[in-house]
Amino acid sequence: MLKKSTISLQKSAIYLIKNWRWLLRFYVAWWLLSLILPTPQRVLLGPPQQVEAVKPHVCVHTRLIDEVDEWKIQQSLKLVREMGADTIVELFPWPYAQPSADTFDWASFDRIARHAENQGIHVMARLGLVPEWARSDVDSDFSTLNYLPDESFDEFGAFVEAFAGRYAGVIDHIIIWNEPNISFEWGYRQVDAAGYTRLLQAVYARAHAANPNVVIVAGALAPTLEPAGSPNGLSDVLYLEELYRAGAAEYFDALAIHTYGFTQAPQAEPALDRLNFRRAELLRDVMERYDTPEKPVYITETGWNDHPRWALAVRPSQRIGYTLDAFRWAEENWPWVKKMCVWALRYPAPVNSYPDNFTLITTDFQAKPIYYAIQAYARGLERSDNLWLPAPIE
Amino acid sequence: MAARPNRIAAIVLVGLVALGIIIAGHQIRNSRLSKTTSPAELFANGEIRIGVDASFPPFAFVNDDELVGIDIDLGRAIGEALGMPVRFVNMGFDGLYDSLKANQVDILISALLVDPLRQDNVLYTRSYFDAGLVLVSNPDNVIEDMGELSGHVLAYEFGSSADSEARRWLRRIHPFEIHPYERPEYAMDAVRLGQADAALVDAISARLYLREYNDTWDAQIHYVTESIFAIATRRDRPDQWRVVNRALQTLFEDGRLDTILNRWL
Repeated sequence: MLKKSTISLQKSAIYLIKNWRWLLRFYVAWWLLSLILPTPQRVLLGPPQQVEAVKPHVCVHTRLIDEVDEWKIQQSLKLVREMGADTIVELFPWPYAQPSADTFDWASFDRIARHAENQGIHVMARLGLVPEWARSDVDSDFSTLNYLPDESFDEFGAFVEAFAGRYAGVIDHIIIWNEPNISFEWGYRQVDAAGYTRLLQAVYARAHAANPNVVIVAGALAPTLEPAGSPNGLSDVLYLEELYRAGAAEYFDALAIHTYGFTQAPQAEPALDRLNFRRAELLRDVMERYDTPEKPVYITETGWNDHPRWALAVRPSQRIGYTLDAFRWAEENWPWVKKMCVWALRYPAPVNSYPDNFTLITTDFQAKPIYYAIQAYARGLERSDNLWLPAPIE
Repeated sequence: MAARPNRIAAIVLVGLVALGIIIAGHQIRNSRLSKTTSPAELFANGEIRIGVDASFPPFAFVNDDELVGIDIDLGRAIGEALGMPVRFVNMGFDGLYDSLKANQVDILISALLVDPLRQDNVLYTRSYFDAGLVLVSNPDNVIEDMGELSGHVLAYEFGSSADSEARRWLRRIHPFEIHPYERPEYAMDAVRLGQADAALVDAISARLYLREYNDTWDAQIHYVTESIFAIATRRDRPDQWRVVNRALQTLFEDGRLDTILNRWL
């Protein structure tokens, strides 16, 4: 038997060698199969939609730019509309649109603008990050995507001008940079309010020339207690004062604020040495001292976190209760706030850590209870003031 | 036509060669893993450095300047099983995986959920606790899974993952009444006091609550979802993973793991 099978194997091997064309065919077939990719899902815009919003200050920060699948952008924006928010804040990274000094590629921006417009949603665009060509003089070990040298302010201004002109009528609010009061966001340099003022100056006139209706929004300041001289950043309140002293008031039309509640209720009193939701009032005080009272505020990031492992988180029930109370607080007490945008609708992929517990929707599009609670508030569907039952009594 | 048997035999031959390559690869991997090295050789510092975030009771927390909890007892038991001293390095949750990568610690025992996105760099051991959602019900009206809830009253913590799960099941089965509460303990109170038929809560909350009422309430617990806690080791040190996993398996089999869990939960 063994001899027979050995002979058979030998014959097979000889057959394979003689019929090499079969091997070639097999290889070609395998190569062709490996080229087969799933067909991209076809996305149709559908009829134009409108947001049914009875609370116009409800807004949400999205994370759409890094979505690979277009249908996920559309689905996210549908959920924003169904929640009753008529505005989103979204990052539009400069390197995506201008990969080299003389090349523009607007495709990834266009699809967000197209779907937002179709869903009846306004977009506040946060412009930032720096392409490599605009920071090429910096040693690569030190350079970060947030490093914008003074020499490149003019190039950034040209990009903002091109952006403002291209999306005029669709995107009329442009936030310049993100959290310039912390060193990480300022390219790991000492924060510099005068430098940021020069950046605002570099974009302001050009953006208005391209789109007379554009609203240039400054700041998006990070809530932080860092004292003057700290290598990590500077208190948002102190930074805003420095900004005004540097003459920035002429170069922005509205201020963006990031204000998080952390472990405190939204009603908690603000103080210079405390981070909480009403810290926004301290910033408003500075504005009222240095600026015209009509200049509005956009809260472009806010919210609470309910991760069980994060020291600055609250319970899930508190997160919802605090978020709704914060919306009510802004509605009743802050006439200067135009929009209050919750961080964040959804992430493209889970982080598997505490940031996931800032979202309203899971990565696989499961709406969390907080989404439904905000929806009920934003669309005027609230049936009761009580979110939960009283504790059972023995 | 005469060539057909040879063609079939050739296909079989190619298949056998492929299978042989797979088996040989597996054998080589196993032989690498099974080289007899003592734990002392595997942990170069002469001790097992364990990364832990001691802010998550009852798994790890600080009590009178001392680290205590399930993860601490488990780390010590693993050290004993391997005949190695252990040293705990307390840090923030966010720094755990970075410290493993940067070789500041050898393993992580910190109520870590298995994270598929980290498996390029990390090997997880078998699980040592499942913190998933459980249904807690009374012994005279046992509800074993969510499909049995129709017509019953379900209590849970408002806004929690239990809330999401309850909403999901409300779309799937005939209606059931929902009773949201501010805290998971109140949901279990409702069941114990006969105001709800079942509570959907996480397993940690359930076990902590039932410790208090163990003598007076024979509550029934049935798992609905999984949230697996495991120990993390470096992927490029598979031998460390092997000995730690084996030690954990031993603790599981001889009941010491249960003893540790029952001490705290």
